[in-house]
Amino acid sequence: MIHDLNLMVAGPQGSGINFTSDTFAKVMAREGYHVFTNAELFSTIKGEHSYFRVRVCKDMIRSYSERIDILIPLDAKSVLLHLKELSHDGTIIYEENLDDPRHAAIPYKDILQTVATRFGKALSELNVMKNTVALAGATKMIGLDKEKLKKVISENFASKPKIAEMNNAIVDEVYAEFGQTRTFDLEPTTYKKRMFINSTHAVGMGKIEAGMKFQSYYPITPASDESNYLESIMDKYDFVVEQTEDEIAAINMAIAAANTGLRSATSTSGPGFSLMVEALSYAGMTETPVVIFYYQRAGPATGMPTRHEQGDLKYALSAGHGEFPRVVIAPGDHKEAFYDTIEAFNIAEKFQLPVIVLLDKAMAMSNYTVDPFDLSKITINRGKLILSETKDYLRYRFTEDGVSPRSVPGIKGGLITVAGDEHDEDGHIFTEDADNRIKMMDKRMHKMTSVLKEVPADLKVKFYGSPTNKKVIVSWGSAKGPILDAMEKAKDVSFLQIRMMEPFPVEEAMRYLKGKTIIDVEQNYSGQLADLLREKTGLEASTRILKFNGRPMAFEEMVEVLSKPKMEGREVLTYD
Amino acid sequence: MISTVSPPAKPQSYKTNVEIDWCPGCGDFGILNALVLALQELKIPNENVVLTGGIGCSSKIPHYVNVNTLHTLHGRSLVQAQAVKMANPRLEVISASGDGDGLGIGSAHFVAAGRRNVDLTYILFDNGVYGLTKGQASPTLPYGEMPKSIETENIKFPVNPLFLGLASGFTFVSRSYSYNIKHLKETLIRAMKHRGLSLVDVMQPCVTYNNINTKEFYDPRLYDIEKEGWNPVANNESEYKQKVPQAVLKSLEWGDRIPMGVFMDYQTETYDEKLQRLVPDYGKKNYVMDPIDSSGKPLNDVTDLMNSFS
Repeated sequence: MIHDLNLMVAGPQGSGINFTSDTFAKVMAREGYHVFTNAELFSTIKGEHSYFRVRVCKDMIRSYSERIDILIPLDAKSVLLHLKELSHDGTIIYEENLDDPRHAAIPYKDILQTVATRFGKALSELNVMKNTVALAGATKMIGLDKEKLKKVISENFASKPKIAEMNNAIVDEVYAEFGQTRTFDLEPTTYKKRMFINSTHAVGMGKIEAGMKFQSYYPITPASDESNYLESIMDKYDFVVEQTEDEIAAINMAIAAANTGLRSATSTSGPGFSLMVEALSYAGMTETPVVIFYYQRAGPATGMPTRHEQGDLKYALSAGHGEFPRVVIAPGDHKEAFYDTIEAFNIAEKFQLPVIVLLDKAMAMSNYTVDPFDLSKITINRGKLILSETKDYLRYRFTEDGVSPRSVPGIKGGLITVAGDEHDEDGHIFTEDADNRIKMMDKRMHKMTSVLKEVPADLKVKFYGSPTNKKVIVSWGSAKGPILDAMEKAKDVSFLQIRMMEPFPVEEAMRYLKGKTIIDVEQNYSGQLADLLREKTGLEASTRILKFNGRPMAFEEMVEVLSKPKMEGREVLTYD
Repeated sequence: MISTVSPPAKPQSYKTNVEIDWCPGCGDFGILNALVLALQELKIPNENVVLTGGIGCSSKIPHYVNVNTLHTLHGRSLVQAQAVKMANPRLEVISASGDGDGLGIGSAHFVAAGRRNVDLTYILFDNGVYGLTKGQASPTLPYGEMPKSIETENIKFPVNPLFLGLASGFTFVSRSYSYNIKHLKETLIRAMKHRGLSLVDVMQPCVTYNNINTKEFYDPRLYDIEKEGWNPVANNESEYKQKVPQAVLKSLEWGDRIPMGVFMDYQTETYDEKLQRLVPDYGKKNYVMDPIDSSGKPLNDVTDLMNSFS
């Protein structure tokens, strides 16, 4: 019996590696297993070497493993590159003969020829279905009912029934002809309904649940998957997704739609966010409730567009000229991405300020199983929005909490004047009165105090593990998964997940970290959260565990570094 | 502290009581007056009008008009105006920009706006200089000119707003003159009534920095193309295709005679109609007024979406 099974599909981009791994993952998820995937691809559409990992386990898993049990290379290069990662008792499914006892020899040609003949096709036309041969070989070795695989294939090719039929014929042939010499007996599990999603789906669903009506975006990896998902469902859920001419337009449109009264957002990555920065400052000044979903990728400049990094924390915190209030939050998994999305809109409208939700490539492209969201605990708070006739209205009226009643166009008696210049309570700009400036700055900046007081506690930090442990990890975002998985082995470490970086939860951080040995874990070069922690609390991380090769952290390398008897000040992880 | 808040405007008035800080004699005044007259004539309730501005002298106009106003960023007036209209198609949306704002820093939005054809009116305050930063050459300053405010002659070719508007897909393209209030008011009314994206390019002297394109320059040169027989209306796509090149030719005239009037008036699918093809309820439901929650509980339910991932 094996506890967790790791499958890798590798090959040139465009050869069906995504389809193969995704189909396998779905089949296993439907068996009731927890499934975690990791996608490593090039910034091209066809040709370059890419690989997908699928990890399957009856218990919760949140990271990928360095070990490969079943390797499906779709070209010779993939054999050369990944055979070294294959475990001793693993198997490699490959069409050509290999001088390796682990090679599973499936009669690829015979199978494809049989099916080609049956469907009146040339053998060459079935070349693209080689991956199905390998996939069926893998599921047979796992002992999976072939009908379950065929069902998922049929669903994936719902619009192309002929293709589905041919692929399923291949499955039948493999199950009949492949006399496998070994099996993989996974510890059994019982079925539980789960979603197999990534954060772009979670955020998308969160936006719909939150009542978002307008999203603008400019195509960019890895953020646009979210907008494209929303586009595919906007007819049913009645909202607008607008693809703009650039990110400057995207943020300005989101701001204008927000000031017209809609919950609105934009989604982007680092280069796009850079173009949005002037308008971010404008949103702060004009007290506009706009939400920016920021999917980080490896920078700087164009960097590695399809690779992972958490390199933009300090940038998100400080981007924009002048001083203005903003909220920066970072979910650490798909579930948090869903709930945080809704909370981001609540915070934005309640305090009338821009909110940045920091995500990353690993979250955007790593699909894994998640329990269905609990919709009963969701609330919507639109703050001081006025949607009926009013009088004596001033858009920037001074109030106790710094938040003014917010009218929108179309409200009788509630004309708004929105201005990015310093303004009076009425929004007009022909004052540069010194006292007014002080009052307006106080008004806006005071919101940060209110945010700290009023946001739910678990949106600020979350603590995992025993409070008595001497060693405490601090980290954020998607590093959470590998950390929690590794803590099941390294039991002498606890974990403080920082969820809100601006305003920074100083009190909570001090409560959990004071007097502890702090280990910072981040997927960037310098340890930006550790710097922030020092700035805000004076607390210093004794170790910074960092990874910046563009790949997320693997389970084993996290365990290994946390188990070191003595860690260096800087520990760099390199697994790819 | 003395409150600097201006006394409120009379509810029905389209003018605010905010003190105007344009230079005496500025062409902006003519545009402001014509716009206020047009709004008075159309009698659209103040709360249903949104006026956006960018950054620059002319882009301060939102503060002087008693409607909803968004004083946006440099170059972003038109892009924000489009989003306002998309967010709430019931609003009358007007966008103001200077030539630098609209065709320099904002030119990408100008072109993209033509592709959408959002139903709004875009007023281009066209004076050839960046007034608020003391008169640098703007994208519409004619080639080789050297107004007193710039250090060297202008060695860049000018952008022709009418030509660019026609090329980008604006469905109503016009030019008027800030000292001809009657023509300007009538043109603005036609632009606002037009269903689709309207451009009103307004020839407008900058009395402080541009000593070339002055009232004395424009008065004898501007002529009304419609009075000379030009019919801008295109009733269908084939008429439109036939009229565009002719309108472009007219737009290229500059010199002893400078054309004004409506160059193109073509009624075709607006962006809200196009959006309705993608989102069937768009425009039928009111995104602003329809609630998204009931006592704090969301009205949307993503259960079906969650199921689609199992």
